[in-house]
Amino acid sequence: MEREVILETQNATKHFGGLAAVEKVNMKIYKGEILGLIGPNGAGKTTFVNIITGMLPITAGKVYFKGQDITGWPAYKVGRLGIARTFQIVKPFRGMTVRENVAVGAMFGHGGHKRSPREALEHVDEIIEFVGMAHLRDKHADQLTLPYLKRLELAKALAMDPELLFLDEVMAGLNTKEIESAMELVRRINERGITILVIEHVMKAIVGVTQRVFVLNFGQELAQGTPHEVLNNPEVIQAYLGEKFVERFFRQQKAA
Amino acid sequence: MSDKEKKKAPIRYSPLDGLFKGRQGVLLGLFALFALFLAIFPLLPFASGFWLNTLTLILLLAAMAIGWNFIGGYTGYAAFGNVAFFGIGAYGTGLSMIRLGLGFFPSLMIGAVAAMVFAILIGLPILRLKGHYFAIATVAIATAMGEIADSWTSFTGGAAGITLPFFSPIEWSGQFFYYMAFLLAMGGLLLTWFILNRKMGYSWVAIREDEDAANMMGINTTWAKVMAFALSALMAGLAGGIYAYWKTFVLAEEVFKIEYTLQMILAAVLGGTGTIFGPFIGAFIYYILITLLVFFLPVGQLHATILGVIIILVMVFTPKGLMDFLSGKKKLSVNALLENIRTYRV
Repeated sequence: MEREVILETQNATKHFGGLAAVEKVNMKIYKGEILGLIGPNGAGKTTFVNIITGMLPITAGKVYFKGQDITGWPAYKVGRLGIARTFQIVKPFRGMTVRENVAVGAMFGHGGHKRSPREALEHVDEIIEFVGMAHLRDKHADQLTLPYLKRLELAKALAMDPELLFLDEVMAGLNTKEIESAMELVRRINERGITILVIEHVMKAIVGVTQRVFVLNFGQELAQGTPHEVLNNPEVIQAYLGEKFVERFFRQQKAA
Repeated sequence: MSDKEKKKAPIRYSPLDGLFKGRQGVLLGLFALFALFLAIFPLLPFASGFWLNTLTLILLLAAMAIGWNFIGGYTGYAAFGNVAFFGIGAYGTGLSMIRLGLGFFPSLMIGAVAAMVFAILIGLPILRLKGHYFAIATVAIATAMGEIADSWTSFTGGAAGITLPFFSPIEWSGQFFYYMAFLLAMGGLLLTWFILNRKMGYSWVAIREDEDAANMMGINTTWAKVMAFALSALMAGLAGGIYAYWKTFVLAEEVFKIEYTLQMILAAVLGGTGTIFGPFIGAFIYYILITLLVFFLPVGQLHATILGVIIILVMVFTPKGLMDFLSGKKKLSVNALLENIRTYRV
């Protein structure tokens, strides 16, 4: 059975002057899956998300969302169409309460044109509870700790009622216990029928939540496959840890 | 979970909720009394020409500060050229009355619309700039507008200025302009309240707090910023038109004075940017400060220096303006002042 593609990039390319941050990436995201996007620092993961979501203009290539060409759309239109994202460096609206932060998503996101501010403020109760912040809903965003700021990012994105969600390192900076509850949250979001692309450096999280992994290195596709396949791929290990480590690693495996 | 936690806090629907209760309610009541006082002021026996004149000036400044608050306070764009809109409003009104022979009100509308259209046209390109770059662009445009008005003699009358007819009946002139300014300032407060309850208000604050996040969350940031700019131009344009007819004279170096921009910013900052009543209260505080300084320090330009020092102190100790303390968000104490310094890292 052919799976339904929700997002597809064709030769997506982003150059910063002479530097190719993303070079001819062809990616397909299938409806309902959790896809991991990994790669060493500076591989172009965030830039890739930025050119899809319209935060940065794309240099070349095409982006299709549910068959519709959205190449070069401004970010707010992409957001209203049903693509939401979180930011690696959290971007809360500090002068607003948690509820107002989340309500902005419900007001302006997918289907937001139907809601008045008042309806949006009422609507977000469920989402705030879902991310486990019910007790903080009237706190100002500048009073929250990092784990909650990360959750707030999630809640804001969810309130936009997206079909596709990009999670940019939502687990970075969290401790083991917090990572586990964040992983659980990602799974539950997926169960709501939202397709997810996770950018993550925490390998445990990648193995734990994703069904498929896409590896970027120097802006280009290095590998894709199941988490297990990809993490045992010598090229991937080399990209992360260097050539010498790969030699030693496989020598040790043979010996064992 | 204890009972207390279970009980759901009421939803705060708008920045105004809770305003009618407790300390906020008392303040709102005081404000209502003050507004009532201003409304009947010209009827009071001691309302001399001097007092009407002073209050008209303060109310015009309040209206402009309220307008500046849209772009500078809520949207967070440091607009340093709002005097351009004041000048365009003044010239638009004056020229319409003189060249087209229209009455004051249609002319005022033309002046205000001209200021808004100008704000939209320059806003589209320059609102892409951020921080200092935006501030510099606005200063440059305001200065350029002043030069154009000064040099384009065939259209604006150049250095000779344009002279408008007097308001008639002339014995009611003071009252008329007082009420125009009063209505404009009150209208500005209502407009602020109206916008804050709407999506536009949320998009402005979202843009101020994080423009990228706002954009990604589906806010058409360009549109929201241009609207903020245009509405602040509307307020300044109307104030300019009223001022022109009041003074019956429009001159480029008078209506494009950069000091006017500074005054509206200072009024907003003193009272509290990003608050409804802050700019209004700030305008009064600014005038009282200036008057006291000129009165006690009549020597040369010393009062300007002292004013500068006061502004620096306000920026350092209460960057969020006096509304921070008035609204009960913080208690006025040495600790609160020191805490402000730490929080805003000045």
